[in-house]
Amino acid sequence: MSDARAVILDRIERALRTARIPAVGDAGARAFQASDQRDAGARAFQASGVPLADRFVLEARALGVEVFVESTPEAARDRLRTLVAGLRVLSWNRDRLPYDCGAVVGEALPGSAPREEQAHADVGVTACHGAIAETGSLALISGPGCSRTVSLLPPWHIAVVRHEDLLATMGDFFLSRHDAMARAANCTFVTGPSRTADIELSLTVGVHGPGKVTVVLGP
Amino acid sequence: MLQYHYALAMVVQLFPTCLVNEIRPDAGMAVVRVLERVGCEVALPEGLTCCGQPAYNAGFHDEARRVARHTLAVLGATDGAIVVPSGSCCDMLVHQTVELFRDEPAAAEAAQRVASRCREFSQFVAERGGVPGGSLPSRVAYHPSCHLQRGLRVQREPLQLIGGVAGAESVPFDEQHECCGFGGLFSIKNAEISAAMMDRKLTAIEASGANRLVSCDLGCLLHLEGGLRRRGAAIAVQHLAEFLDEAAT
Amino acid sequence: MSSDASGGFAQRAHDALGNRQLHIALDRTTAQLGMRRSTAVASLDNFDGVRDQARAAKMQVLRTLGDSLRRFEEQLIANGAHVHWADTGADANRIIVEIATRTGVRRVAKSKSMVSEETHLNGALEKAGIAVIETDLGEYIVQLANDRPSHIIAPIVHMTREQVGRVMHDRLAVPYSDDTQTLARYARERLREEFLQADMGLSGANFGVVENGTICLVTNEGNGRMVTTLPRVHVALMGIEKLVPTMADLDRFLKLLARSATGQKLTVYTTLIRGPRRAGDECGPEELHVVLLDNGRTNMLAGETAEILGCIRCGACLNACPVYRSVGGHAYGDVYPGPVGAIVTPGLRGLDRFAELPGASSLCGACRDVCPVRLDIPRMLLALRHQAVERTPQPFALRAGLKMFARVATRPRLYRAATALVRRALRARARNGWIAKAPGMASGWTAFRDLRAPAARTFEQQWRERQASRHRG
Repeated sequence: MSDARAVILDRIERALRTARIPAVGDAGARAFQASDQRDAGARAFQASGVPLADRFVLEARALGVEVFVESTPEAARDRLRTLVAGLRVLSWNRDRLPYDCGAVVGEALPGSAPREEQAHADVGVTACHGAIAETGSLALISGPGCSRTVSLLPPWHIAVVRHEDLLATMGDFFLSRHDAMARAANCTFVTGPSRTADIELSLTVGVHGPGKVTVVLGP
Repeated sequence: MLQYHYALAMVVQLFPTCLVNEIRPDAGMAVVRVLERVGCEVALPEGLTCCGQPAYNAGFHDEARRVARHTLAVLGATDGAIVVPSGSCCDMLVHQTVELFRDEPAAAEAAQRVASRCREFSQFVAERGGVPGGSLPSRVAYHPSCHLQRGLRVQREPLQLIGGVAGAESVPFDEQHECCGFGGLFSIKNAEISAAMMDRKLTAIEASGANRLVSCDLGCLLHLEGGLRRRGAAIAVQHLAEFLDEAAT
Repeated sequence: MSSDASGGFAQRAHDALGNRQLHIALDRTTAQLGMRRSTAVASLDNFDGVRDQARAAKMQVLRTLGDSLRRFEEQLIANGAHVHWADTGADANRIIVEIATRTGVRRVAKSKSMVSEETHLNGALEKAGIAVIETDLGEYIVQLANDRPSHIIAPIVHMTREQVGRVMHDRLAVPYSDDTQTLARYARERLREEFLQADMGLSGANFGVVENGTICLVTNEGNGRMVTTLPRVHVALMGIEKLVPTMADLDRFLKLLARSATGQKLTVYTTLIRGPRRAGDECGPEELHVVLLDNGRTNMLAGETAEILGCIRCGACLNACPVYRSVGGHAYGDVYPGPVGAIVTPGLRGLDRFAELPGASSLCGACRDVCPVRLDIPRMLLALRHQAVERTPQPFALRAGLKMFARVATRPRLYRAATALVRRALRARARNGWIAKAPGMASGWTAFRDLRAPAARTFEQQWRERQASRHRG
């Protein structure tokens, strides 16, 4: 209702005349103004010299993500083939998967298949638009051939990740993938298998999203 | 390693606080003796009553300002460091009084001047290098009061001072930094919750094996000591000044 | 089951303190959450520096809230979303019901939204004949049990696993179990169908990014992704204060939020929504509606508690609060419990109904220490106490007592005489220096503790004598 809009905006202007909003101290203000995006954490990370891949693998495994590190495209393809053998596969479009993995998932359900069918797949196979080393996260940008349901509906999600997908931090991803994100309806960071701790804070893995996440990290 | 060196005898003003004055003056006398031992000459400003915190915390700001104005006048007529043997009263003088007079620039300035002179007891004694030659074998549970540790950020000094006493062992206990539940009038207005918090704290202290409970705030001590008595526990309760004074005697 | 709000904190707290099950549940959880936070904080370089940046960003948003909202709206519309403004909770509900009716929605799947609790949205939808189901596990159980959430992040922290098992057994006709894996599996199986069949997904929003209209949701279970991907209509309901200026700010807040809330570096799913589905997308909602809600926030903005609008709803203050630890969330009587609730509830619902809440604190400051935005909660509690004194009835004894105190404490001689009287009266009731039963207002003390009798001579008197004898000698 445009009435409500006008009322609220007007109230805000009047409120700001008497609002007690603490002045932010010098340090905070300077920190805020600094629009150079790489913060101390990211710089320290880079300075540490730890290869991105090593850090990513460490963080992902700490989350319970199964990680296979393969040194050739063939090995990556073979790994995927072994993993999905005999299973109903739901997949991103073939041309979205690296290392010719599209051939391995050739008969897979596409993201355009009816939802009821997708919901019965055993495993969802995707690539990624970024792999964040600092947190072991996978960045998935939605788009044609990159349906969100693939990494969401099946109980197992396998992501084929290339070295060149690796980035140090989420902040780096926001910077370098700015345009891709702007064109898409959705960007989701997946940091491990789905979980809850709602009941007495005890951890249960595998709630609504996939309970198992696997990464095949190729060259 | 604490250094013991006193260049000149320094005159300090003592703000005893109303709890020390009315209920446990022995703690006040111990403060005086410890201050003298670290090379200070203690002066007591004439006409001190209360810092005004009870009224302030209860939301009665006009009344709090009246009392604070009086206190600022008395303290403002003196010079030099003001030693306050209470984390909560010291925090009131250092932080809250300035806030109380936000809309009165002259009073706020006076408050700021007094604030910059105030030192909590353990903070001051540690700055002076600690108390020389103390000895008192004991297992001490130190309770860090909230205004002291979070308001004034005085966190290491009390432990340093306890550590400077030969034979005294500082005994950690569960959830040591959690509020004891005193909170001034909170202890009466929300007595049940206050008692629940007290129970958790006392259970942890008893489980630690300490034979003494020491703190820098008399409010916390009265509350915890009263609870220990109800439980029939045999833990001695002292203000840090009393502990240091006993150790040096 | 929490009871009606007005004037009932003391009673609800009393009941909570006597509730053994609640004690067990709270003990099992609050200490853990604090520990997890500490570990997670240590994993971030310069945690305090990031907090400073976050605080600066939020205060900036508040200072420019009107312009920020306008810009955010522009971006949302450019992204293809519909933007609605709601003055009150009832308005928000009406808007959402209208959207549902217009688009032929019969079933709504909700992921966690505290704001929708504020507005009592579920009731409004059900009244309009629209089925609504909570999909966040804790909220789902709350819905089954016809209860209310007691914690911002962990809604059923007040329930033991045995209680949860019993609720599921009673309401879902499944075999009783107190094994958390089994209980989560029951929920997964039941809710899967709901996700696939729902016509509308309803979510909150953890952050709205002003510079590009992004809506950010953080979840662990996957239900947030489900309800914002599968149904054909997505409605995001958010308070007008949930904005951050830029993506760089979002990055900082994401570093702080999960660490402060659950001790994770990030929640499992960080979902950034930029609009409804794009041409060529195989899934995603056809329509995205964002409802911007005031519901009393502009009232808070106008005064001493404006700062609380910087809250990012992490729940760290609840976990750190010894009062919350003692009485749990229902005692606070409304949607938001704990230290933040003690400020927000009077702000949203009125101080006259909730004047007890700002007083239910020892002002220990643990909340301020853990707040990722460094909100000065004790300052705001004190400000509300002052407002309560000005606007709501106070117990006569307290008001009279403090006025007298002010009169006496400004006159040293009178003060000495008055306190001498009080000391004498108390000492008369003492045995061996201790009082087992104090009179009047002070009886609350001796209900639980002995009271040390005042000294015969004050410090001041002893000091004078000491000085006199020194000058003599």
